[in-house]
Amino acid sequence: MDAGRHPLIDVVSNAEVIGCEGRPGDFRVRIRKKPRYVREDKCVACGLCVDACPQVGGNEFDVGLKARKAIYRPFPQSVPATYVIDSDACLNLLGFLSEKQRLRLAKVQKIKQRKREDYQPNLLVCGHCSKACEVDAIDFDMRAEEMEVDVGAVLVAVGFMEFDARKLGNYGYGRFPNVVTSLELERMLNASGVTQGHVVRPSDMKTPKRMVFIQCVGARGEGGRPYCSRFCCMNAVKDSMLVRQHDPEVEDVTILYTDLRAFGKGFDDFVQRSRDEKSATYVRGRPAKVDHVAEDDSLEIFVEDTLGHSQERIPADLVVLSVAAAPNEGAMKVADILGIETDVYGFIARRDPAVSAVETTREGIYVAGSAVGPQVIPDCVAQASAAAARAALYLTGYRVEEEQKTVDPMDLSGPPRVGVMVCHCGVNIAGTLDVEQLASHAAKIPDVVAAETNLFACSSAGQDRLVELIKEHNINRVVIAACTPRTHEPIFQETCARIGFNPYLLEMVNIRDQCSWVHAGQTVEAQEKAKALIRMGVAKARHLHPLQAGEVPMARAALVIGGGIGGIQAATDLAAQGFPVTLVEKTDRLGGRLAKPNLKSLYPNMRPAAEVLREKVDRLKSTDARILLNTEVEEISGFVGNFEVTTSGATQETFPVGAIVLATGAELHKPRGEYGYGTLPNVLTSEELEHAFFEEEEAVPGDSEDATSRASGVGGNKRRSGERSDGKAASPFESVGSASFILCVGSRDPECFSGCSRYCCPTAIKQAILLAKRGIDTTIFYRDIRTISSGAEEMYREARGLGVLFIRIPPGEKVEVIGEKRAEGVRCFDDLLGRRVEVPTDLVVLSVGMRPRQPETDRFHDMLKASIGLDGFFLERHPELAPIETAVEGVLLAGTIQGPKDIVDTVAQASAAAAKASVFLAYDKVKLDPVTAVVDALKCRGCGTCVDICPYHAGELVESGPGVYVAEINASLCKGCGTCGSWCPSGAITCRHFTDRQVHAMIDAFFGEEVTT
Amino acid sequence: MKAVRTKPRPKRTPPKVPANWNPNIVVFACNWCSYAGADTAGVSRIQHQPHFRMIRVMCSGRIQPGFVLRAFERGADGVLVSGCHFGDCHYISGNERAVEQFEKTKNVVTLLGLEEARIRLEWISAAEGARFAQVINEFTDQVRKLGPSPLAGNGRAKE
Ligand code: FES
Repeated sequence: MDAGRHPLIDVVSNAEVIGCEGRPGDFRVRIRKKPRYVREDKCVACGLCVDACPQVGGNEFDVGLKARKAIYRPFPQSVPATYVIDSDACLNLLGFLSEKQRLRLAKVQKIKQRKREDYQPNLLVCGHCSKACEVDAIDFDMRAEEMEVDVGAVLVAVGFMEFDARKLGNYGYGRFPNVVTSLELERMLNASGVTQGHVVRPSDMKTPKRMVFIQCVGARGEGGRPYCSRFCCMNAVKDSMLVRQHDPEVEDVTILYTDLRAFGKGFDDFVQRSRDEKSATYVRGRPAKVDHVAEDDSLEIFVEDTLGHSQERIPADLVVLSVAAAPNEGAMKVADILGIETDVYGFIARRDPAVSAVETTREGIYVAGSAVGPQVIPDCVAQASAAAARAALYLTGYRVEEEQKTVDPMDLSGPPRVGVMVCHCGVNIAGTLDVEQLASHAAKIPDVVAAETNLFACSSAGQDRLVELIKEHNINRVVIAACTPRTHEPIFQETCARIGFNPYLLEMVNIRDQCSWVHAGQTVEAQEKAKALIRMGVAKARHLHPLQAGEVPMARAALVIGGGIGGIQAATDLAAQGFPVTLVEKTDRLGGRLAKPNLKSLYPNMRPAAEVLREKVDRLKSTDARILLNTEVEEISGFVGNFEVTTSGATQETFPVGAIVLATGAELHKPRGEYGYGTLPNVLTSEELEHAFFEEEEAVPGDSEDATSRASGVGGNKRRSGERSDGKAASPFESVGSASFILCVGSRDPECFSGCSRYCCPTAIKQAILLAKRGIDTTIFYRDIRTISSGAEEMYREARGLGVLFIRIPPGEKVEVIGEKRAEGVRCFDDLLGRRVEVPTDLVVLSVGMRPRQPETDRFHDMLKASIGLDGFFLERHPELAPIETAVEGVLLAGTIQGPKDIVDTVAQASAAAAKASVFLAYDKVKLDPVTAVVDALKCRGCGTCVDICPYHAGELVESGPGVYVAEINASLCKGCGTCGSWCPSGAITCRHFTDRQVHAMIDAFFGEEVTT
Repeated sequence: MKAVRTKPRPKRTPPKVPANWNPNIVVFACNWCSYAGADTAGVSRIQHQPHFRMIRVMCSGRIQPGFVLRAFERGADGVLVSGCHFGDCHYISGNERAVEQFEKTKNVVTLLGLEEARIRLEWISAAEGARFAQVINEFTDQVRKLGPSPLAGNGRAKE
């Protein structure tokens, strides 16, 4: 929605790319714009045409659950809002079609339209819509247009398509009415969707009592797709919770899964909550088939519970198939036109899947999101920013300074005229609260001149309506009752600012996050609370004052802390865009975890880490970035645009920067004696195994007779007798006949780190493959195999093909390493066999998880005040909308400092951080927040309390007359916390936007009183 | 029992809590941690009791005794002051100041004859949605046990 409003973004919709020539930095792209038969410049999106249209077509957005007219708006928040005519359905346009096209159309329609069996071409001109249109926007003569644009780089974000579950006949999708896909369920759960947020059985529109989710439909080996779709597990868990909250009638939800892949930040905790709250029953098993019970259209699922070891028949009223993500149909075509490659499945191929998430096989063309394979939203957002950063390298000549569009400020003086907008937020608010009643309640509050509801106040349409509302009623105070001001106030403020309405005359009331979402079961009380909150909001709004933002110059340079792969990437991207960058690394070399001997090769393509690192370092060195090795950041002060950095160590200096990228990485868990680590010599961590791979490389493969050297082994005897008679080290694997990996050591463990470390499953499998190829019998003890990165699921299959044994351990169960002097075997309960097993082993590898790097994390937390999450990693500002930013402006996160991730994701996030940093650096000024404290010199007695109290040293006593002191507060240092205001004994300090009077008015309004003062 | 209804209120007899009575609670929260924590509770749909109203300020340091007293004066049955954990304040040390202010406030509140349990100070971080919900539930129950504030209803009349 922001994109639609951005002055520098042209959205060409209903169009396709038909050609792309040239070279990076200078592409010429040809675009074919399909006719929409509605003039974008005229359409006001009023919807009159839809009412007039007699023709019904299938609705793609509601996935066929609801019909739509032949003239329609694809979905309610579409950008542009212009309507479009479906040339396949419109009666008028049929006249233009050739016989062949018509036949094809008839065929298409039979599939698309369940309602209209017969297709009768109507060659008479219909034209109802053009008659209904008041602005003459309908234009049947519109033809496809071709246009050419010159661009520096191309970004492909074609996304994915839903796997067609009809292809898997055993689930009965398409045959049984009550088998739906996850996307269809999603539409039902949406307020503006088909059923206004309620789950129903399509056969009789009744609420299902028993629901079953089937996971991995068309993924992980089914329907020819070996990969994992990543988002479905969490989506099913979330949907099951939503369903239970919205429809208490749903008694029972079962999720049939294979592995629960809750790999993201906080996901494991979420699943745990769902288990604790019993919102769903989890059954591990893939159903053989779904049977239809004819009498009542209910279903029966046959499944073997692989943990309970029983065959079960689960009855269900509604079955939801969590369908896999398939490549977008058009992706191949786009790839062809752009001259880039696709992978075997039809997703866009990446140049190097082990390192870069966004580079395609052609330079200058980048890819983001699910076009390369299924992704979760935080990763999509990070990749999109990363792709933008790379693309920006070709656009350096075009950087735009901020266009200062000055709008004349509106005259907002006079007594308060408050306008209230109450947002439905789809079902999010309106599902619990009666928003219409809230609006009518608001309308009765004194000084409120207009109050209305809006389906999505933050949508383009909602914003436009806000503008109209302000103008229609000469409103000079706005109250938006919607979600949290922490994320959405800026959006509304910006809309206000655009029309010259002072953005500080706007107040947001949080009736979603802090009301409808948390009081869902208590609608009456929630309604009362929402009313009171709106009264309080209006009360504050009456006393709001217009404020003006100030400006200070920006230091257009960046600091990157940490010289691992993330830091290298961020610094390279920034430097390549021409910004001065300083990279600070505390050790004597770049590379971090990629450097020898930490990591030998990268999954999934086994590229040597050293080679990747060399490539990255060479690239960095080719830029003007300044690299300070053996140097640490000692202190940082200041704020966005004006940070002052002091370093110590090899280079000691103080310099200004405008933005900071934190890339100090994570640490690996150090086992504290568990599994015999430290006491049994042949128990290693996964990282130590990498060391062994290096040792092996250095050793000569020998035919040595020397018994002692043959007895040498990883960890074990190596240190005692590792030297061969010829002076070379023996291969550390020589005497190893079997190896066992133990996963989740120090991860998914409430005592260490409750989350998933993401990288360990694929890494262990990579290592297992390497060992298996050396003829070593390898066993992996796992809880869930979470091979989520691209190519990892294939590796998983390869490992099984090589005979690697996978043993699933139940939650809570600890694997036991047996042996006195050295580990001789591993014992545990095998969840799938249902009994204890013991596997003899010569080598135990602990796949250790990640944890926050200390003391860096705490130090930078103290220095920068960026918050840390419960897991100890830095907290992003928003998991989906702002996964790169911290709450502190100008401080960005790259890599594992924000949470465990693998190299691809780290590199993508680093590029994204560079992109975000360049957004600040692109301007030569920083805007200063006017929400600060100001001193009324007449009231000030010069006591100096505020000067002592301010942690930013913004206050100062100045001599205003001989011997008379008053306090002054420096606006560029003041952060607006308001502490001084609360301490000032003479009430001389006004804390703007949170004044005494405003707060008092809110308190009064809570208790139903109207403020008259 | 009868004494409860007379205007100048003598020493309170053991509170008579009306059946189905719910307290009115004002919660002051700083923007960066506690208010964000309440949002987190929302995002994770952690349900809690709805009898409180939130007033957002930028930092708990802003919460002056006057705010709390005004709330009681207007009829609040309980007031919760919340901010970031020590060391986490977005403005470095605002919450340390808030403690000092809170102590002062508590003194005045008890002087007014209100129970100490009607006012509470809590540190809740942005990530602690569940804790926010728990604090709200606990505090609501605690105030509910105390019954309506003796100032509720006639606080304004005194003016
Ligand atoms: S910002 Fe939360 S207490 Fe200061």
